[in-house]
Amino acid sequence: MVELVKVSKVYPPDIMALQDISLSVKRGEMIFLTGMSGAGKTTLLKLICSLETSDKGLVEVAGHDLNRIKPVVLQRLRQKIGVAYQDFRLLPLQSVYQNIAMAMEVSYLPPATIRKRVESLLEQLGIADKRDKLAGKISRGEQQRVAIARAAANAPTLLLADEPTGNLDATITKLVVGLLESLNQAGTTMIIATHDQSIYRQTNHRVINLEHGRFTEPPMEP
Amino acid sequence: MRFFPYILKQTGRNLRKTWGTQVMTLLTVSLSVLIFSFFFLIHTNILKAGARLGDELRLIVYLDDEVVPAMQEQLKKRITDFNEVENIVFVSRQEAFARLANNLDQDRDVLQDMSPTFLPPSIEIFPKKNLKTLTTIKRFSDYLITLPGAQKVQYGQEWVERFGYFNSLLRIVVLLSAGLLVISTVFMVSYTIRLTLFTRHEELELLRLLGATNTYIQGPLLLEGLLQGLMGASLGLLSLFLLFSWIKLRFSGPGFLNLFDFSFFPPATTCTILMTGIILCSLGSLISIRKFLRV
Ligand SMILES: Nc1ncnc2c1ncn2[C@@H]1O[C@H](COP(=O)(O)OP(=O)(O)OP(=O)(O)O)[C@@H](O)[C@H]1O
Ligand SMILES: [Mg+2]
Repeated sequence: MVELVKVSKVYPPDIMALQDISLSVKRGEMIFLTGMSGAGKTTLLKLICSLETSDKGLVEVAGHDLNRIKPVVLQRLRQKIGVAYQDFRLLPLQSVYQNIAMAMEVSYLPPATIRKRVESLLEQLGIADKRDKLAGKISRGEQQRVAIARAAANAPTLLLADEPTGNLDATITKLVVGLLESLNQAGTTMIIATHDQSIYRQTNHRVINLEHGRFTEPPMEP
Repeated sequence: MRFFPYILKQTGRNLRKTWGTQVMTLLTVSLSVLIFSFFFLIHTNILKAGARLGDELRLIVYLDDEVVPAMQEQLKKRITDFNEVENIVFVSRQEAFARLANNLDQDRDVLQDMSPTFLPPSIEIFPKKNLKTLTTIKRFSDYLITLPGAQKVQYGQEWVERFGYFNSLLRIVVLLSAGLLVISTVFMVSYTIRLTLFTRHEELELLRLLGATNTYIQGPLLLEGLLQGLMGASLGLLSLFLLFSWIKLRFSGPGFLNLFDFSFFPPATTCTILMTGIILCSLGSLISIRKFLRV
């Protein structure tokens, strides 16, 4: 599903965010990406969703080389990649509902389908009562869940979650992890960047660690 | 066709968000359309009136002497050598006198002491329709004066000339207002769309990340321009029609306007103006999309 071969990313002027990274994620896999702040986790996810482009190496998602992908193909690919950004990227002046529905509207899903899906996600994440609040007027923890709901909404084949539990307490964290697990169970490939040991300590999923833009050990197989 | 409701929804949202500017643009567009179509309407009506009056246009060649029937064929040939004509009528002294008497009607007693031969004989020439431009008529008249026995050629020179100048002046005004129409609509609409782009900047960026297609993003903006064109042009034409009806009602009865038999655009012209408005406004939004929306 995701192939990285000797990928490097340099931010101007000379910040080496990633150096010679190689990683292969199979379809249906769930992996955790750990590492200290500034290790390059977010940068890696940005490369995979083509928010940034690599300076060296190959980034391939679902068989498409992201450095050469045509705009039309990228648009279709992005509809199938759900991303929960570390900074959420919600529209503060629109309702929670609208923020989540957007992800499905770009695929022209029928309104009834969208409504059912949004309401079910809100329910699962415990923010059903925030449905019609403005996204800018709810707490950080609630915003975080809206971001996750939006990433999960359009039945993505690949879901990237950047620090999905950063602002949540233990109970809510369980809800979120439960949702992500069930999506993975249903076949979604998942890459989760996190500091939060509690969510990966007891899993048998692959955990890979970044340090100064490199993997600490060859992260090939679990 | 599933995308259509979404495009409509987005467009509605855009219009609501920047409605103040939208109204301004709408007014500008309709005002431009009104100004242009106003002059254009006058122009077409004057042209029509000109054509009608032109039907009655004839050149009269006054002669020294009566033309004997044998000469008539020869003169006809000389005249038609210059150009085909609609009709040639020879008017003798008697006929001219009879006509005048007829025209004077009640006052014909003034002719009592006149000799029935005091009027000169003449040839009346009705030119072909294709000979209606000012210069050709002039040249024709210059040619006719060379006919044997011709004394003077008359065709209402002054009137024809004034009409011609007025018409070309009007044509310039029409062209100017057409230029104004193009510039103001394209400029205003592209400005409004740019405003929409800026107010929705954050949202459009996010839509890109969510994988929105070009149709999804550009569709509403194009539709916005199209609607501006449709509504602006309709409003402009509607106000022109109201103005037209008011003038017609106000100034009906004998007078200057009746001479022209003023009439509104035929449906085809109305549709063309409407379509032009729509196309211009869509063009305006396209310019903004191309310029400010990196794809
Ligand atoms: N847009 C940018 N311009 C310049 N430098 C950047 C930019 N984004 C990130 N960096 C730098 O690249 C390095 C990796 O950043 P990245 O955001 O990937 O870290 P991270 O692992 O996600 O950290 P955190 O856990 O705090 O989110 C850091 O040194 C950061 O300062
Ligand atoms: Mg990060």
